[in-house]
Amino acid sequence: MAASSRGSRAVRGILSSSTLCSRCATTYSARLAISSRFYSAATTTTTTTTTEASAVAASTPLPTAETSTKTPYPYDIRSGLILTRPPLLTRTLHPFENAFFFYQKRLEERLNTPFITSIYFKPDTAAQLDWSIKVQERGGTVAKELGTYHGKSSRAWDDELRVGDPLSARETVLESLLKDAAPRVSDDAEVIAPEDVVPVERPAERVSEADRKGDVRRLDRQMERTLYLVVKGADGWGFPADVLQDENLHEAAKRVLDQAAGVNMNTWLVGRVPVAHLVQEPVFGADGTVQKRGRKTFFLKGRIMAGQADLKGNPFGYTDFKWLTREELEKELAPEYFKGVRNMMADR
Amino acid sequence: MSTSTSRPFSTTPSLLARKLPTPSSSSAKPARRNRAAPKSENFNRIRTLRRNMFSPAPPPLRMARQRYLRHWTIHRAWMLFRRKQHEAIEKERSRMHAGMFNACEELRKTVGPGSRGEGYLYRVAMEKKGIYGLEGVPIEYARFQTDTPAKEAWNHDWKR
Repeated sequence: MAASSRGSRAVRGILSSSTLCSRCATTYSARLAISSRFYSAATTTTTTTTTEASAVAASTPLPTAETSTKTPYPYDIRSGLILTRPPLLTRTLHPFENAFFFYQKRLEERLNTPFITSIYFKPDTAAQLDWSIKVQERGGTVAKELGTYHGKSSRAWDDELRVGDPLSARETVLESLLKDAAPRVSDDAEVIAPEDVVPVERPAERVSEADRKGDVRRLDRQMERTLYLVVKGADGWGFPADVLQDENLHEAAKRVLDQAAGVNMNTWLVGRVPVAHLVQEPVFGADGTVQKRGRKTFFLKGRIMAGQADLKGNPFGYTDFKWLTREELEKELAPEYFKGVRNMMADR
Repeated sequence: MSTSTSRPFSTTPSLLARKLPTPSSSSAKPARRNRAAPKSENFNRIRTLRRNMFSPAPPPLRMARQRYLRHWTIHRAWMLFRRKQHEAIEKERSRMHAGMFNACEELRKTVGPGSRGEGYLYRVAMEKKGIYGLEGVPIEYARFQTDTPAKEAWNHDWKR
């Protein structure tokens, strides 16, 4: 089956218009001094130098070198890097999710085949003794986190929690799992007294020390959110950026990061494609001359995996840095600045 | 060989040689063949499995009218919740894509740097060199999100 030619027909209309270059689909070539001329342009300039200069100049739409030097591109191109720390923790579940999962687990208790102890435990072993002690403490329920509930008994219908019952909360589940993990029987099958039971090590808290202190420079804060590196320069808070010096966006972004925040960060540039941009329009005088050059800032996205920023001796005059979440950025950044970079930020 | 009878129409020698059981041998108790067979080392395990593997499936859930209505409500609430989550994810992705698209469009209309023409930076940004392959994504980036942080949640002292 042959491909449709509709696309090329649609494009032909655009490319044949006078404002677009049909070769490179650029629009600016009419005002720019192009180093590579088409063969027709060379003949035009030669005819201009000969007899009928004014007539040819009027008929040709091509600009002469004189007009193109008058209007240099009125923007500074800057490349910046939005360095992000991805979330380290899974998201906190909604209470409805917790309750729903608990409900499903109890339904599963009603529907599964009974747990057969003899399949999993050899008789008269320490493991079997340990198991039987723990099951007795749970009131005979096999599942660890479901409370006392028997899916096969005559009261199996009573599987719903009352409103406000904390049994489905994450903390309760964690506590019951930790309680179950502690060994109750020693290796030589002797029951450990309840006061001698060694509890297993608790997992670390989801809220870190930096969160409690409100330390915005540490990277182990807000661990279930994405953090963004912002620096304080002459224009206030913003992402590190610098003017391009005859290099590409990603090279410039890497240079900016190394110069501004030091090399002691394990970072990765996600791609070469800019994820956000800010445009400051130039100010023109009455005669069309540029009073104040505009700025185009393109931001690339980077990820940090280890290390910490260090602004010591940076050439951009940055004085301070912070690792902020999106909501905190909204307070720190200027509104139009935030509006420009808002779209690249994930919800979490 | 007086009790053996041969079939007159059979010519197969093995059938001809076959003996029919005599009344005296059928009355005697046959020898138990599996008495000599040794038990395998997994005998107990297999016995447990065979006793329990074929337990009947539990009956399906039966709910009265009010209970079933509650179940149905919970189910609908869950579907609504999932729908909202999916829509939020979709919206987030399209927003991020739109941000990238607008930035690329602006980049395509940009002249420079230096003597470079319009769209040079855009064409370079669209290049896919070094993106794929073993060195494309650093292995440290393959860290999973966990429920609880590590003992040292972040390595601040990492040095190049």
